[in-house]
Amino acid sequence: MKLDEAKILIGDDSALARKQLKDVIAQFGGSTFVEAKNGQEAIDMFKAEKPDVVFLDIVMPIKDGIAAVKEIIEVDPNAVIIIVSSVGTQGQLRNAIEAGAKDFVQKPLNVEQIEKILMNHFERS
Amino acid sequence: MYTQFFGNFLLSKGAVPADKLVDALQKQSSTYLKLGTLAIHAGLLTAADVDRIVIMQTHQDKKFGELAVENGFLTKDQVDELLSAQKPDYLLLGQILIEDGLLTNTEFEDLLQEYQSSNEIANLDAANEQKDMVDKLIQRAFSIDDSDVSDKVVAYLNLLFNNIVRFIGKDFTPLNPVLKSEYLTNYCVTQKIEGLFNLNSGVDLSANTAIGFASRYAKETFTEFDEYVGAALEDFLNLHNGLFNVNMSNEHSIELNLFPPMVHQEETLSSEDKTYVFPIIFPFGTVNFLLQL
Repeated sequence: MKLDEAKILIGDDSALARKQLKDVIAQFGGSTFVEAKNGQEAIDMFKAEKPDVVFLDIVMPIKDGIAAVKEIIEVDPNAVIIIVSSVGTQGQLRNAIEAGAKDFVQKPLNVEQIEKILMNHFERS
Repeated sequence: MYTQFFGNFLLSKGAVPADKLVDALQKQSSTYLKLGTLAIHAGLLTAADVDRIVIMQTHQDKKFGELAVENGFLTKDQVDELLSAQKPDYLLLGQILIEDGLLTNTEFEDLLQEYQSSNEIANLDAANEQKDMVDKLIQRAFSIDDSDVSDKVVAYLNLLFNNIVRFIGKDFTPLNPVLKSEYLTNYCVTQKIEGLFNLNSGVDLSANTAIGFASRYAKETFTEFDEYVGAALEDFLNLHNGLFNVNMSNEHSIELNLFPPMVHQEETLSSEDKTYVFPIIFPFGTVNFLLQL
């Protein structure tokens, strides 16, 4: 699938973090975004919008990113979920991968790293 | 980087009142270094020489450098070298304080010498100097109540200053920390870390200062306090605390939990734990970093 045809869900409680990630993904052709402000919204949005890829922060109110990964994977075991977090500890990395996340990005955002991840999952548009 | 500690040094010497220092620091971004200040720093002119040349300037419409050369104070090569050499930031602060009438050239010369010898600046690289500054701030903070300060808190504060330099800028001056049993916030974001040890951190500032802080952090120009400005404050704190957790995990195998940031507006923060306040002056305003242990 080409990146410009993909629907991209971004779950982060920070409006700025969502905007910055959207701006980076848009550089590589991503154009269809849906957003969630916490883990529960991300789960609900995943069910309603069926996005092709999900970017999730870990530390969020109501329900954190790891819990959201688990519930999304229950809905769709093949869901492509990328964790984007400042808390890239060994423990969190393990939790994320065990929950079913496909990749882990340590904040602050690194454009090259996001590009590499996108190209692992999508064709360049 | 030296500016950060020079301001603090001036305060500790009682050379300048805190409010005047704040004014001077805020003028830094719009002021340029003068040749006289540079020449005193390089040891090529004494304060008295500079005073003499400045008096000459009041009689003749000539630049400082021209008069210094014509009257044999400096050679043309020395002037060129002074202008092209790398200029330490703290000189600018000294110059502004002289212009504001808070220091004379002679007082500045003496303070500069004392500052340089006490810090052996010539032999210090930036990283060491910053570490030295943070160590001194920590000593001052925790000598207030004779608390034993753990190496984790020292690591936390060192990382905080690194992250301030990395994400906001190096043009700041820390004032001496204070300890409060109750703290009335302005616009404040706090975030808790829990685990083997607990820590509550915060950033407190006015709306205008928040706009300046957020613009630096997000590398965008914000003009009003909107959702993105609030989010930038939370992101900075969350990023810093997240990186601290990563360090604790990597270096000490300690896994800590980070809670979502909370916003407090004009609220009194009181807890059994006392609040350490680390005021930091930036050109765009004063930011209070808070720490509850």
